[in-house]
Amino acid sequence: MNRRGFLKNTAVVGAGLTLPGACGLVFRVLEASERVDLAVAQGAAPSQITRAAIDVLGGMKRFVTKGDVVVVKPNIGWDRTPEYAATTNPEVVGTIVKMCYEAGAKKVRVFDRTVSDSRRCYKQSGIADAAGAAGAEVSHIDDRKYRDVKMNGLALKSWPLYADVLEADKVINVPIAKDHGLSKLTLAMKNWMGVMGGWRSRIHQNIDESLVDIARAVKPTLTVLDAVRILTANGPTGGSLSDVKRLNLVAVGTDQVAIDSFGATLFGFKGSDLGYVRLGAKAGLGVMDLAKLKIKKIQV
Amino acid sequence: MIKNIRRASQAIFLFLFLFLFRQTESKGYDDLGYPVRLFLDFDPLVFITTVLASHTVPLAFYLSVILIVFTIFLGRVFCGWVCPLGTLNNMMGTLRKARPIGDRRRLYRWKYYILLFILAASLFRLHLTGILDPLSLLIRSLSASIYPLFNYAVRSFFDTIFHWNPPIIVQGSEFLYDLLKRSVLAFEQPLFVQSAFIGLLFLAVLGLNLIERRFWCKFLCPLGALLGILSRYALLRRSLGEGCDACGACETICQGGAIHDGDRWESGECLYCMNCDDLCPRNAVSFGFSTRGTPAALNLGRRNVLIAFASGIVSVPLIRTTAHSKPGYVNPRLIRPPGALEEREFLRACIKCGECMKVCITNGLQPTLLEAGLEGIWSPILIPRIGYCEYRCTLCGQVCPTGAIARLKLEAKQQVKVGLAMIDEGRCLPYAHATPCIVCQEACPTSPKAIWLEETNVRNREGRVIRVKRPRVDLELCIGCGICETLCPVMGQPAIYVTNVGESRSKTNQLLLPGAAK
Repeated sequence: MNRRGFLKNTAVVGAGLTLPGACGLVFRVLEASERVDLAVAQGAAPSQITRAAIDVLGGMKRFVTKGDVVVVKPNIGWDRTPEYAATTNPEVVGTIVKMCYEAGAKKVRVFDRTVSDSRRCYKQSGIADAAGAAGAEVSHIDDRKYRDVKMNGLALKSWPLYADVLEADKVINVPIAKDHGLSKLTLAMKNWMGVMGGWRSRIHQNIDESLVDIARAVKPTLTVLDAVRILTANGPTGGSLSDVKRLNLVAVGTDQVAIDSFGATLFGFKGSDLGYVRLGAKAGLGVMDLAKLKIKKIQV
Repeated sequence: MIKNIRRASQAIFLFLFLFLFRQTESKGYDDLGYPVRLFLDFDPLVFITTVLASHTVPLAFYLSVILIVFTIFLGRVFCGWVCPLGTLNNMMGTLRKARPIGDRRRLYRWKYYILLFILAASLFRLHLTGILDPLSLLIRSLSASIYPLFNYAVRSFFDTIFHWNPPIIVQGSEFLYDLLKRSVLAFEQPLFVQSAFIGLLFLAVLGLNLIERRFWCKFLCPLGALLGILSRYALLRRSLGEGCDACGACETICQGGAIHDGDRWESGECLYCMNCDDLCPRNAVSFGFSTRGTPAALNLGRRNVLIAFASGIVSVPLIRTTAHSKPGYVNPRLIRPPGALEEREFLRACIKCGECMKVCITNGLQPTLLEAGLEGIWSPILIPRIGYCEYRCTLCGQVCPTGAIARLKLEAKQQVKVGLAMIDEGRCLPYAHATPCIVCQEACPTSPKAIWLEETNVRNREGRVIRVKRPRVDLELCIGCGICETLCPVMGQPAIYVTNVGESRSKTNQLLLPGAAK
């Protein structure tokens, strides 16, 4: 083999070796150009649909970078077992924690300020065990850790929020879709009540405006709406299996308003039926009109 | 040597007691998983007086039979080797110089009079045991006062460092704080009404050791008296060898004050601490099994015995002659825990040990002062503004040693009404102030919710029509758990509150026509 031949062969082989990587890059570019806003996955296994939906958006690596401290905030508000759909599905939470670590997270924190007794909520919901098994640091709320956050919002001037959320590199909201007596539904934006300090129930006096203010202050990286089971009546506490509907679905996106607008459709509402969705869209927090969104639905 | 074995035994039982006390706390599971009542189950005084007063047999009564049989053969070993309050008295007593019992011996009788008083009262179904039973007293004092105090002190210390925030030190202190939280601190700072009062009484009991070592055990303890009577013919006896010259050394170091006048020994007062065996300069003291010699009769004085017994009997009408006995009169805020027996039966069974208050997951169970009459002092009352009754929790029934609070399965407990919630329309935001608020409805745990919302138009001052949802209470569904009252954002006097009307345990304290369909 002469020198020219060698160089030629080397070039060909080298090009060949780099091809798969190049293809991946091309696919990623294509994917990005596809710009999925909302990934909706349906299937029997909560962990699989969670993973699949996040992968549709580009995988957890798109949202979590190496060394990040991530807060995963489920709804653990009530003392109920998972089948009553009053708290976020533990498998969904566990899967997200696991995916964060796979993406290189340094630490994943899981907590919620519960309404019923915190110990019971954490245990009975199955979330403490599932998140703990996935390696998360599961902790009860420490009352000393609230920091006053200036909002100058629609309703709230300022409110104490949980420091762990404010200090995290990435925040992932993992609400469950449920019926609610005042705000009609509790979805992603309302889940932030779990990071509020103080006498938070007072915000019910001006619920829609307050929810927009809090959601604007928190700025989640990603929202995973758990609709594996939804609570269609007697919410947000539930307590009867006849009020629970199994949808086997999760919806994932980066836009809280869009997620809530989509969540409303699971109950037969429109996004515009929810005051905080309307206000959130108006305030520029996100997009309410589902027609303007690229929604990708997959079956797993 | 034996003295050190005894000390080890005291340490082990005190540790076991504190361990079980610490375990009397929810970990989030439905069952507590530890026999936290264990010490009370072994208490024969609680057993006997509960049988007399409530005409029911406590669940684990056989354990106290073990202690009775044990004491008949071996004497008051329980007092000297096991009793956690005895051990604490023992430790406190070391602050006082040891001295012979001398003339103070006459004070022994007090505890027998107290015992007679309690027995006489319980014969007439007035249950006063728990006030002075050492285990009940200790658990109540620790639960309602000493443990909260300990938590408060530790938390304040670490919180101060946390807020001061000195670099490096704060990391260390937070690490230590976390360790303490996992091991000895309560999940949340427990707080009780009367904390100081109950604590001072307990500290007074400990303080008496400065007057006389083991003052409580020698002169006051009714359980000690009962065990003393049982141990009169105990087979484990002290005997003196040839070498004894009645030097009186043992009289000085005797923990029960059982030795007097040089070589006299009272079996009913001996705590079997083994100090005399160990310290006798001539090695003349030994303990062994024998039946020789009849111990001296307990001389309490016939007149005094009669007075004590009669006082116990008289105390029954004295304490019960109160408006609480009037038919139809009920203190509306006397909300009892779920599963509590009908009030009269409840008072006959409750020994005010405070275990239910210790274990109550929301801190809502508090000790009464006079809400239930003097007879009910320190019995549990739910104060919803402090804490509500958690819908899926059954812990108070699990720890109650006498069945005053029945142990209920979850499904049964969720059907029990401890009272009913009613709305104060003059304070409620949607009613009186044209302001939206659904907090009570949101948290209502029953299914369907006992609190429902009625949507209606109201006008504000400017005449603008506002649509609000007003909470209404469905009396059939409400169980009186009180979470609505706990969370009501109208501070101070709440706009929704629970009274005990409608409580399942009462036939008379009702308001709805029985069986009336809605």
